[in-house]
Amino acid sequence: MFEDIPVDVSPMYEGERIRSANMFVELAGPKSIGAELVQVEEDVEDGKVEVIGPNLNMMKEGEIYPFGLLIEIKGEKLEKELEGVIERRTHELCNYVKGFMHLNQRDQIWCRVSKEAKDAGFELEHLGKSISILFKEEFPIIEAISIKIFTNKEDVETFLEKASTAYEERDARARELSDEDVDVFYGCVMCQSFAPTHTCVVTPDRTALCGAINWFDCRAAAKMDPDGPIFEIEKGEVLDEIKGEYVNVNTIMTDRSQGTVDRVYLHSVFGYPHTSCGCFEAVAFYIPELDGLGIVDRDFKGETPLGIPFSAMAGQCSGGKQVEGFAGLSLEYMRSPKFLQADGSYERVIWLPKAIKDSLIDFIPEELAEKIPTEEDANSIKEIRKFLRENNHPIMERLKAAKETIEESETATETVEEEYPADMEANPEIEGVPMAQVAYTPELSLPSSGGMKIIFKNAKIYAEKVIIKRK
Amino acid sequence: MIIAVSGKGGTGKTLLSSLLIKHLSETGKDVLAIDADPDSNLPEALGVGVVKTVGDVREELKVDTAKGNIPKDMNKWDILDYKIMESVVETPKFDLLVMGRPEGSGCYCAVNNMLRKIIETISSNYDYIVIDTEAGLEHLSRRTTQNVDIMLVVTDKSKRGILTAQRIGELSNELDISFKEMLLVVNRITPDNKDLILKKAQETGIEIVGTIYEDGEVAEYDVEGKPLVELSDDSNSVVAVSKIVTRILNSN
Repeated sequence: MFEDIPVDVSPMYEGERIRSANMFVELAGPKSIGAELVQVEEDVEDGKVEVIGPNLNMMKEGEIYPFGLLIEIKGEKLEKELEGVIERRTHELCNYVKGFMHLNQRDQIWCRVSKEAKDAGFELEHLGKSISILFKEEFPIIEAISIKIFTNKEDVETFLEKASTAYEERDARARELSDEDVDVFYGCVMCQSFAPTHTCVVTPDRTALCGAINWFDCRAAAKMDPDGPIFEIEKGEVLDEIKGEYVNVNTIMTDRSQGTVDRVYLHSVFGYPHTSCGCFEAVAFYIPELDGLGIVDRDFKGETPLGIPFSAMAGQCSGGKQVEGFAGLSLEYMRSPKFLQADGSYERVIWLPKAIKDSLIDFIPEELAEKIPTEEDANSIKEIRKFLRENNHPIMERLKAAKETIEESETATETVEEEYPADMEANPEIEGVPMAQVAYTPELSLPSSGGMKIIFKNAKIYAEKVIIKRK
Repeated sequence: MIIAVSGKGGTGKTLLSSLLIKHLSETGKDVLAIDADPDSNLPEALGVGVVKTVGDVREELKVDTAKGNIPKDMNKWDILDYKIMESVVETPKFDLLVMGRPEGSGCYCAVNNMLRKIIETISSNYDYIVIDTEAGLEHLSRRTTQNVDIMLVVTDKSKRGILTAQRIGELSNELDISFKEMLLVVNRITPDNKDLILKKAQETGIEIVGTIYEDGEVAEYDVEGKPLVELSDDSNSVVAVSKIVTRILNSN
């Protein structure tokens, strides 16, 4: 198949790097310009390879040249949406060619041709020819393929403009990709060494808690390293679309947490929130007095309205724990249209540090942006309440409604399961004596007997005086 | 073949590493030097400048990710791969990768996992890799040196240097890291103390592969900040390391 190619073509050359000491020329890369683009076209002459500009035999050893690679494809089942997927294989397939190094994608490619390949008579047509064959082999839906290679500065510049437009269109589509559009989610257990019951579920609408990897990264990682820490989860049956509950996700969670966690909601901090690793970028936390959510990120050094800094809060809900009212999350997730959608999204957010508010300003609904206080506006429950009231935050409506229901239910029957909501108007000042908050805990079990278990959720312990004595 | 140089800080790891690289690159094979010491000075010893370290690249990627600057459908492995390649200092004789600053706060699981793979791929392209490790034992417990073939431990005449060497030997046994060979290099001996130091060095239980005498020229280069690879071929230290290289290449 590759008889007339003067160098070997095989997957075994993947990962080949050409040292500058061994290279004939460099193409594109950090010191020049270049791009690659796959386009679905109507009219494609199959097998045609054109080199526009100087070929290798006209290039000078040790020099750097611009490089453009246009791959035009045609096929009955080929759609524009597939261009990105097919283009991403260019890196791998170019690397099959011995003596040709290819890094990265789009307008960030970096190639080199080895002296050895040049000496064997390798020309750019051979590259074009090899990848034409490889692409058709990889994607049988490609019926015709033709390759254009540009090495003139002016041509590459024109090509770059065309390519940038195509990338922008593709990015716009990628931004719109949502959980409903895919059949596969990904699980990541990279953090299990210190959070043994944690599996991060990554979906198009939900980046990993660390913020480091999104759905696209997981897709690439699972393919590159199928036995690695990132694996596919067939989306399967949806139990609750709003909360983000899926049968298969629950199964995987149970499996990977050794039975500790058997249910998760991807888009809520209540009920069965996603477990938290330890390295999340931010935490969403419930503020019971105001029935709203606060958010604090790792870089915020002060105290949150709960009276504890990020580090203390992270300590309480990390390590793979599932703690209702708390969820570790990534900043990218706060740009997602599904951001805690089951809880009311930004309408439920009543406090967040200024730095993240500023960085997310384009993603916070315009009418809410001014209504959510930061550390510059309010730092205690009291101050937040004042700010929310003055700025007419939608949570005030919610509080009013909730208060009315509570008043009604207080006069109603006694329930067996005594789960009293925290007093909405709780005030830690009793008869004018200032009280200090000495402990805050998202979950606290008291030792007890008689077949009963007492669990306080979101407990705050206030004391008039704290005495610490040496034993 | 991967050769790592370890030992207590200040015992002469960088001297040994740079001279190993000098000799190995003269064999005409592809040589990669890795400076894994966060307080790195291997580049100076090799006489090359470094623009960007792996640590810098790692931070860059983290910042870009947090700010949402990376197009969603571009793959971070590929971007990191490119940036790491960019950070490799390429010279006609050898290439150099500087690990640089340690991690900041936040999560490094994902990026380190990617880095490990990328550096493995890069490394597989070289015939000889010399790693100048960070001082102490951390590289063993974090298993960053577990694929190493030859572990060269350097000590000087100090009791603490010898003690660290001994601990490196013990810890790699405990952790079940089996290098093909673990060898000891004794640095900065003088004709007067030679016998005494060698006797103490033998007590570490590690085979002594070479000795380097206290070298006034090296000290002078250090004071002036001159690259150690420019030491003349007949300098004591260069000759001593040349013997070590011959011994390693012959038996591997």
